[in-house]
Amino acid sequence: MNINILNTTLGVCLIGLLALSACEEAAIPVGVDNTPITLDTISFPVVKAIAYQSPPEMGKTEYLYFGKQDGFYFQYNLIKFDSTSVTANTPFSYFNDSLVVVDSLTLSLRFDKDSIASDAEFQLRYFPSGGDSVFNELESNYLNFNQSIASEIISTAQMEADSIDTNKTEVYLNFTLDSSIVNAFRDTSVLEYNRSFLVELANESSESFYFHSTDIQAGIKPELTVFYRNFLSDTVVFDTTSRSYLAVADISIITPPPISYEDSTTLSVSIAKGLKSIVFVDMGDWTLPSKSIVSSAQIVFNRVESDSITQFKVISHPMTSDGNYERFTSYTDDPYDEDLNYFTSTTLIDNMLKINHRKVATEIGHKNFTNLGFKLQSSFSNDPFATVKFYGINNIDSYPVMRVIYVLP
Amino acid sequence: MFSRNRTIIFLLLLGVLNAQSVFNAYGLGLSKSTHHTASAGAGSIGLVPTFHPGVSFDNPATWPGLQFTYVSGSYSNRNVEIGSQVSSNYGNGFDKIQFVIPIQNRFAIGLSLKPVNDHNAYFKTDSTRINFQDRDLIFNKEFRSGGGILAGSFGFAIPMNDRMGLGFSFDKLFGSTRNEESLILNSVHYRLFNIKTYSGSVFNINFAGNFYDAKNVIVTGYARVSMTREPVSGTQYQFDLFEDINDNYSFDTDDYPATIDVDTVKVSNIYAPSSFSFGMNTQFNNDLNVFGEFQLWTDQAINGKYNSIYKDQIGSKSHLGGGLVKFGKMGARPWPDRITMRFGIFKESYLLKNSGRKINEDGITVGFGYKFAATGSQLDIAYRTGTRFMTNDYKESIQEFTIGLSLGDIWFLRRRGKQ
Repeated sequence: MNINILNTTLGVCLIGLLALSACEEAAIPVGVDNTPITLDTISFPVVKAIAYQSPPEMGKTEYLYFGKQDGFYFQYNLIKFDSTSVTANTPFSYFNDSLVVVDSLTLSLRFDKDSIASDAEFQLRYFPSGGDSVFNELESNYLNFNQSIASEIISTAQMEADSIDTNKTEVYLNFTLDSSIVNAFRDTSVLEYNRSFLVELANESSESFYFHSTDIQAGIKPELTVFYRNFLSDTVVFDTTSRSYLAVADISIITPPPISYEDSTTLSVSIAKGLKSIVFVDMGDWTLPSKSIVSSAQIVFNRVESDSITQFKVISHPMTSDGNYERFTSYTDDPYDEDLNYFTSTTLIDNMLKINHRKVATEIGHKNFTNLGFKLQSSFSNDPFATVKFYGINNIDSYPVMRVIYVLP
Repeated sequence: MFSRNRTIIFLLLLGVLNAQSVFNAYGLGLSKSTHHTASAGAGSIGLVPTFHPGVSFDNPATWPGLQFTYVSGSYSNRNVEIGSQVSSNYGNGFDKIQFVIPIQNRFAIGLSLKPVNDHNAYFKTDSTRINFQDRDLIFNKEFRSGGGILAGSFGFAIPMNDRMGLGFSFDKLFGSTRNEESLILNSVHYRLFNIKTYSGSVFNINFAGNFYDAKNVIVTGYARVSMTREPVSGTQYQFDLFEDINDNYSFDTDDYPATIDVDTVKVSNIYAPSSFSFGMNTQFNNDLNVFGEFQLWTDQAINGKYNSIYKDQIGSKSHLGGGLVKFGKMGARPWPDRITMRFGIFKESYLLKNSGRKINEDGITVGFGYKFAATGSQLDIAYRTGTRFMTNDYKESIQEFTIGLSLGDIWFLRRRGKQ
């Protein structure tokens, strides 16, 4: 009897305990007074701002441009190919073998459209005396590249349609090259030999032609194909095959149109025009409290145009040298280096640009970085010919400003 | 018997979370006054007998009154409601596990493990909206703290004469706590952690004496002096504030900034409890006991740089309580006669060190104990209801259900030799 009572009692109690053990941990609401961890804000004025121009940097655009468009003159394009093939990693030195005979080479560019509306003739040059470096994708431009180092014309071509299937056609520009061209690549002892070509329109055209570049996300990059035969002996052919080499760098050398008054009097950015802007935020002797976290340090710009623009991004960095804010200036070289550690890329939303520079603002607030201003430029993912203008410091309502929000422990 | 005991004690240890209280965010939180279920049922601080006539598990000086060796565990479930808050907070955890061996009705030794304080708190502020140059910033804060200090205790009892006894106990204090402060700005959490470990020790001198023994009434007195032997010191690991971008409560590579520092700080003399308590019990010939207790408790720590959510600490506490206990009879044939009934009422008052503000707590308790088996095993249940409030500030309603199981066995019994 006693054992039964004990077991029953124990069972009831343990079940009760387990039922009550299901903890409900709802937060208790309390007043904000006397609680630690706080939020603080501060805003800093942009006291100096100016746009400037440097030669267009077209090395990272998705297309190679030919012809003319909206005042832009696309002079020529430079393309450099990889030293090893896509398949089998075959280097150009492979063709030095006496049992390997190169029959021909083809350089092909994929046209942006699937039909040929207006035909044009293109011509190809290369750089047999170019050494190990002909052009730099990030630095070459219409002012610093010497076109005369290129060879004579080695091939000409016109666009041709290639039927992929019954429903789809692709248009390519295929240059056929003499097999002797490969000698320039294979005979050199320079491992990083230029392997570069210059492609241009044979005749000036008022139209524009876009071809896929090596930076295109979804497309077909420029390709150099080497067709060759493998011999088992001097007379017996073992195999006839080819190797493809993809472009690793390319750039359109373009001449921008004259800069407009609006471009020079606002904070404008454009890749093809070479427009960039610099701003100086007066942060004074601001000190960020120790152990604080900057939630955001946004420099806010208002766009001049009121129309909508899709997915326009602006890249910004802190500068490593003082800026010249006196007047709009065109430079032959960009005079302002930036600290790449503090890269930001910001999308324009509702015609407002809010560049969050919280990392460098934190360093400035902790006196670990000297505030020399910020540089704005168009992202390579934008339409390179788009120009976006922001109001400068003289606009009464829409002047730029920096707003810092930070959390203190 | 002890195999089943171990299983039950393990079950009792399953939960270690006490219901939260805003007041636990002051310093190390509120100190616990009651540990054993029998004491909880009478609202006692453990001085006067509540388990068995003449015996309190929380007072070593009374242990020689035990007739058997006991393994005992107490486990509580607590419900806390804040003001007019609709939802309640539930928590549970063990209050004490204990092992006591009486020796020849004159001596006793015991071991126990019990929580010293309650540091569990989880609270948040209402949303605050500020306009920063035409941009609305909406933020609120959340605070959590948990863990606490445990006392591993060794005690023994010795007689002074046939009417008085002394009990000594040494409490080794140890444990860790964790505080988390976060500010939520537009749904992004900014978190600040610190973890602390503790070590210290306390010793207690307990007294029990029979002052008046007449035919119809017995008056007994009890006292305890607790002193800090080694003030609690510890190590604080303070993590820098970070933006918990992926909201996973811990710092990782997805969060901002990319790296954070952890400051390791040695803190000393942050908790040094001492107390003086006394109580009186009057036992009438119908087994009814009437008792009263009083305690003054102070934290004499001198290091005011203890880092807690609220920048204040519990500095002192007083307890005044009284109640009735009617003990059941072991071995009584009708089962209702084996039931011990307890009733108590108490008032506690905490004083904050820096601000001088008071936290007041009132409570009413009832409890039952049921004796079973020939070795004095006992199942105790206690219920407490009360309020805790700070003047012109928060008010909490507390309900607590505690269950304790004390299993007796015979140790040091002279066995008869084989014939």
